[in-house]
Amino acid sequence: MLKKRVVGVVTIKNGWAVQSFGYRQYLPLGKPEHLVENLDRWGADEILVQVIDRSANNLGPDFELLERLGGLGLETPLIYAGGIRSESDGVKLIQLGADRIVIDSLLHDDLSSVRQLSARLGAQALIASMPLSWQDGAIEWLNYRQRSASLISPEIMNIIESGVISEVLVTDWMHEGKSGGFDQNIVSQFPLQNVPLIAFGGLNATEQMAILLQQSNVSAIAVGNFLSYKEHAIQKFKELLADMPLRLAVYESKWSLLADV
Amino acid sequence: MSYTTVGIVDYGIGNHTSVMHSFRDLGFRVRISAGIKVLSSTDILVLPGVGAFPSAMHALHQRDLVGYLQEQAREQRPIIGICLGMQLLASASHEHHFTTGLNLIPGEVMPLTHSKWHIGWNTVECIQEDPLLQASDGESFYFNHSFSYQGPAEYQVCISRHPEPLTSVIRRGSVVGVQFHPEKSQATGRTLLKNLVEGLVHA
Repeated sequence: MLKKRVVGVVTIKNGWAVQSFGYRQYLPLGKPEHLVENLDRWGADEILVQVIDRSANNLGPDFELLERLGGLGLETPLIYAGGIRSESDGVKLIQLGADRIVIDSLLHDDLSSVRQLSARLGAQALIASMPLSWQDGAIEWLNYRQRSASLISPEIMNIIESGVISEVLVTDWMHEGKSGGFDQNIVSQFPLQNVPLIAFGGLNATEQMAILLQQSNVSAIAVGNFLSYKEHAIQKFKELLADMPLRLAVYESKWSLLADV
Repeated sequence: MSYTTVGIVDYGIGNHTSVMHSFRDLGFRVRISAGIKVLSSTDILVLPGVGAFPSAMHALHQRDLVGYLQEQAREQRPIIGICLGMQLLASASHEHHFTTGLNLIPGEVMPLTHSKWHIGWNTVECIQEDPLLQASDGESFYFNHSFSYQGPAEYQVCISRHPEPLTSVIRRGSVVGVQFHPEKSQATGRTLLKNLVEGLVHA
């Protein structure tokens, strides 16, 4: 049977991998390539690389980063997010090595390009990114460029429900980076319950991960900051979640430590 | 010392870099080309692919590769199709509209029946005995597709469940197609690719 996934997230700002706290504070971690290599070596189910300053500064996708990551020979599916403005941007990212792409600002700016991307690459390659919060009994969607929040529009609901995109990355942006922060209401009250969700933001407690993984509309959980504190963190989480429908924890490397004799 | 050389068919669709790295890491030489002369100098052809079936077939026709690949299959040349590359091996696809395929393995590519897509790690179950795939029976691989092969049972070697069975590996002689991405399936993918290449080349 199809397993649910644990996605390792690398957040990048100004070319550096960073820890992100509530979409406001950032601590540098190092070169993105090193973190991505670690997640690949540690057997993440998917790796999400999100470059958070591309859309806000209208810089377009970071193609050079993708080229560098493509050169690493990753054996883990790679998801790219950040700055995708058009169909041609998306196609180029796939050609450079992304297996799937995340659209964010395009959901606000140009839904026809979203449909074109889906027709060209297939909906399975497209993930919608939605920074959400649970406010006064309702889910609000943050437009992070304008720093304003609103209810999810019917037009966006329609494009999600129609199957133009395959999954929604729901980020609890208010609790991002905070231990045990993810607000379960974002998943349980998400208006489209048949749409597969990737839950992200403040996830580090295995009890909380288990509750999310038991939700039928959650296809994956994504973890960022909390993978940076110890080796093989993703597999240690999986060991603690052994009764969840996840791929088993694996500890192996393609690079043998023993010389052939 | 003789090396096995893998020829990756470059028809402009999808990312060949990951596939190239996988084969190189396994110790094979790799050539990426749309040129018949280059591809003919290799021991085994690999047809990767990401995207939609009609545009992929269009790209193969544009590069005059359809007849070449059909001729190579007739001559029992080993060919591996990966993901969309597997679907291209079939007779036709119903993605967007009806499009004829390479017709190397009889069958058609249809939308998934019980879900819109199949994304993530799933187990592969062998339903036929095949020494090239025995080591992969029960292992998990990464899938990312919304259409799948339907055809005669004799060509279906492995299935996966989502929750209904879908064909995950097809084979007709020296032509093998895998619906998942072995190049993105870590150790299990590496083992499968090694067994397929060595088994097909040295058959």
